[in-house]
Amino acid sequence: MSGNNTVRSMASSPLVLVVGAVLTWFIAAFLVWPNVNILMATFFPDGSFSGRAAEKLFSSQRAMKALGNSFLLAVALSITVNLVGVFIVLVTHYFRIRGSRILFLGYASTFIYGGIVLAAGYKFIYGEKGIVTSLLVRLVPGMDAGWFSGFFAVLVVMTFATTTNHMLFVANALKGIDYQTIEAARNLGASPWTVLRRIVLPMLKPTLFAVTILSFLTGLGALSAPQVLGGRDFQTITPMILTFTNSPTSRDLAALLAVILGVATMLMLAVMSRVEKGGTYFSVSKVSSELQKQDITNPVANVAVHAVAYLFFAVYTLPVVLIVFYSFADGAAIQTGQLSLANLTLDNYVRVLTQQSGLRPFIVSVVYSALAAVIAVGGLLFVARLLHKHKNWVASAFEYLLHIPWILPSALLALGLIVSYDHPSPLVGGAVLTGTLVILLIAFVTVKIPFTLRMLKASFASVNSSFEEAAAIMGAKTLYVFRRILLPLVLPAAAAITALNFNSLLDDYDTAIFLAHPLVQPLGLVIKANTDGAEGTEGIANTFVYTVLLMVITGVTMYLVYGRAGRRRTRKRKPAPPPLSQLPGPALPRDQAPGEDDATRPATAVR
Amino acid sequence: MRKLKTLVAAAVAATLLAGCGGASTPPASTGEASGATAGGSGDTLVVYTNSNGEGRGDWLAAKAAEAGFKIEIVGAGGADATNKLIAEKNNPIADVAFGLNNMYFSQIKKEGALEAYHPAWAGDVDKGLGDGETYWPLVKQAILLGYNSDKIAKDAAPKDWTDLWTKDEFKSRYERVTGMGTATAQLVFAGILSRYRDNSGDLGISDDGWKQVQQYFKNGSPAVAKTDLFARIASGDVDMGQMPSSIIADREKSFKVNVDTVMPSVGVPLAVEQIALVKGTKKKEQAQKFIDWFGSAEVQAEFAQKFNSMPVNKGAQAKANPGVVDFFAGLKQQDIDWDFVQKNMGAWVEKIELEYMT
Repeated sequence: MSGNNTVRSMASSPLVLVVGAVLTWFIAAFLVWPNVNILMATFFPDGSFSGRAAEKLFSSQRAMKALGNSFLLAVALSITVNLVGVFIVLVTHYFRIRGSRILFLGYASTFIYGGIVLAAGYKFIYGEKGIVTSLLVRLVPGMDAGWFSGFFAVLVVMTFATTTNHMLFVANALKGIDYQTIEAARNLGASPWTVLRRIVLPMLKPTLFAVTILSFLTGLGALSAPQVLGGRDFQTITPMILTFTNSPTSRDLAALLAVILGVATMLMLAVMSRVEKGGTYFSVSKVSSELQKQDITNPVANVAVHAVAYLFFAVYTLPVVLIVFYSFADGAAIQTGQLSLANLTLDNYVRVLTQQSGLRPFIVSVVYSALAAVIAVGGLLFVARLLHKHKNWVASAFEYLLHIPWILPSALLALGLIVSYDHPSPLVGGAVLTGTLVILLIAFVTVKIPFTLRMLKASFASVNSSFEEAAAIMGAKTLYVFRRILLPLVLPAAAAITALNFNSLLDDYDTAIFLAHPLVQPLGLVIKANTDGAEGTEGIANTFVYTVLLMVITGVTMYLVYGRAGRRRTRKRKPAPPPLSQLPGPALPRDQAPGEDDATRPATAVR
Repeated sequence: MRKLKTLVAAAVAATLLAGCGGASTPPASTGEASGATAGGSGDTLVVYTNSNGEGRGDWLAAKAAEAGFKIEIVGAGGADATNKLIAEKNNPIADVAFGLNNMYFSQIKKEGALEAYHPAWAGDVDKGLGDGETYWPLVKQAILLGYNSDKIAKDAAPKDWTDLWTKDEFKSRYERVTGMGTATAQLVFAGILSRYRDNSGDLGISDDGWKQVQQYFKNGSPAVAKTDLFARIASGDVDMGQMPSSIIADREKSFKVNVDTVMPSVGVPLAVEQIALVKGTKKKEQAQKFIDWFGSAEVQAEFAQKFNSMPVNKGAQAKANPGVVDFFAGLKQQDIDWDFVQKNMGAWVEKIELEYMT
């Protein structure tokens, strides 16, 4: 394989050259040029650089504290999400746990909602007037009713809210583990704990690295959980970035903050790539067999794991149940926490669905999101494969460039596209892109590139290279190998990524507000119009209704993607447990790019 | 093999093709859009506004259709709409913008994105509320300090914003903002800071003025995301806070509280929502006709009746909700030098966010 590591060997393949040329154009036209333009305008307003932004920021106590909090949260989340995430994956897919299917459904609830409504859901339960808190206060007199706030509360909520990537990708990688290696280890006398630690977890590493980066990023971009639960002492930097992005005279501060977060993300990425490099993350037996569920032999451990698993189940499902309930209540009841069954009506749904715009924004968003999701994954499948196979400086440069959308807030990306393509530009064949339907699609595709690339690369890394070598020895050409050997192996992950991309774009506001064609407005703008402004009574009720409606769409999406893939796979290899197919309507995590921890981000507008 | 190559290349280049085509299929399948080409919007007027919530957008579109205007409303927050209009100035997409207040419009005007126009109803409005050239006033909104009148008697209530942090009984009983991004918050500070104008002070404000800001943040109860001020008043969390005049009646009913408002001796800041023609519109004549129609006494009166607003058009005031008109008649407007405020607001917001918010 050493031949693959030089630029020359890479350049000797015509296919690689073609892909490289297209990729270079795309990166130059849509990732580099627009962002260079907007950053230049921001940092060099009159053609000369001023250190103003840095000076202002570093002398602001609030900014520094908020920035520190964001980093603290990012580091803490990278650990806690992995702990909880690996635990729920093992409980649902590795250990023999009673009722693991029910548990799966509960844990999968994060697939279908997130953001401010999720944070609100937790507050309904553990907040000052929350159900659990009232109960506890009665049991433990003298308890502080405001116990669930600050760093601790934010960390707990965000940990449980962002295990989606574990449930999808780590579980997927786990299913790919060859059971024979586990059996062999056990025959040699390894305890279940040793098997887990020495065999199972190491093989999950590439995926764990990738989801750790995502958790880190989620922490850095945290927005709604700190706003709802952080209190005075734990506010993060994202709200400030958003305020400054909106103010032309302070945009340099927003850009500088975004760049600081972006650089941190890139450092994290570099560290992870280094750690990942050179490892072998697949089993080497020649005839692999399906993973079988393991018993926990120690009875005490078994009871403890069951107890924790069901406790987590309760933590995951309670907020969803309450949110669905509250979506039928009136806005005043939602905010004052006075819920009674008699007050539940369909009024909220009637109001939202009988607007003049009707279903049209839903259709527009579904079409745009689907196109963008498919283009991003389809386009990057081969690119991710090349970047995984060829480890040289050109490949690394491409890889880092493709992460640019993680650095800047989406509003800045959108503004960059406008100022770059509001006049005929040779980069796009002399076309003017503003005011067209395609510019929003371009933006949607670009914002999804980093996440798509990370997850695809991780899934290529866990593919056993002996398949590929065998095919090559028998004379298969590169593309044939890719199409017949690799593609089928990474397809489940690719489908999951497509579904996640689709779901996260459905309610996008930050990009669409600047780029949408006036006659073809997506859902995010409608949600904003109906939920924003003062958080009056209808606005808050509408937020809940839209959350539930989005849960339905994304649930259906996941079912279509997974339900079918699962069925097909089951048919092919009968004995295998249908992997993700047992979830009826699991769905739609929102993968988290910086500042995007929010399902209903538009509604979070800082007051 | 060739097939796959084409596939991969096509996927990556799909956006390019669509971009060159210009008239790519609209990703919407409903009837209305099919007539529109990707590059423009046919004979439909594109109207940007931040005033489309609570059914106002739908109402306006329907009324305009009756009057023979085909309009498409693009709703966005005040700051978003402003940034969008400025970013698009080289190749504008909007034809008309309305609902933004004078601070936002003066920013857009400064960037050269507005076209001068003299509406047919210019004589029926107080010119001083707009700029008398490019943007024209439609609706007035008072930015008020309101308090729970069931709990606090009128003579025990604060007399001015400054009482909130100088009198012990109000400390921690008022809600303070947690972000300066909204128009309402900016107008509250325009009202407070204007009183401390000092050309030798930092950003035109005396040290005493900045001390007021510091005290405001130090002694207030931070707003809670997704919980309305009225909900907090109802639950006894706080007793007072900032509120635009138009929402009060409705919220009182929803949350079953009674709120009275403070009338400081210097007066209260007014936000005036405006309408303007976008520079470079390809449907200038039609857009001008729309402005003439929308700002007319008749349409403004209907709008005011429907949404409890306070129209600026004198002809419309007679038909607006009498309670609203009376309230504004008894209101003293704070004298604010808007040029001064507009020049400095960006820097003030930045300073407040960085130094005083905790």
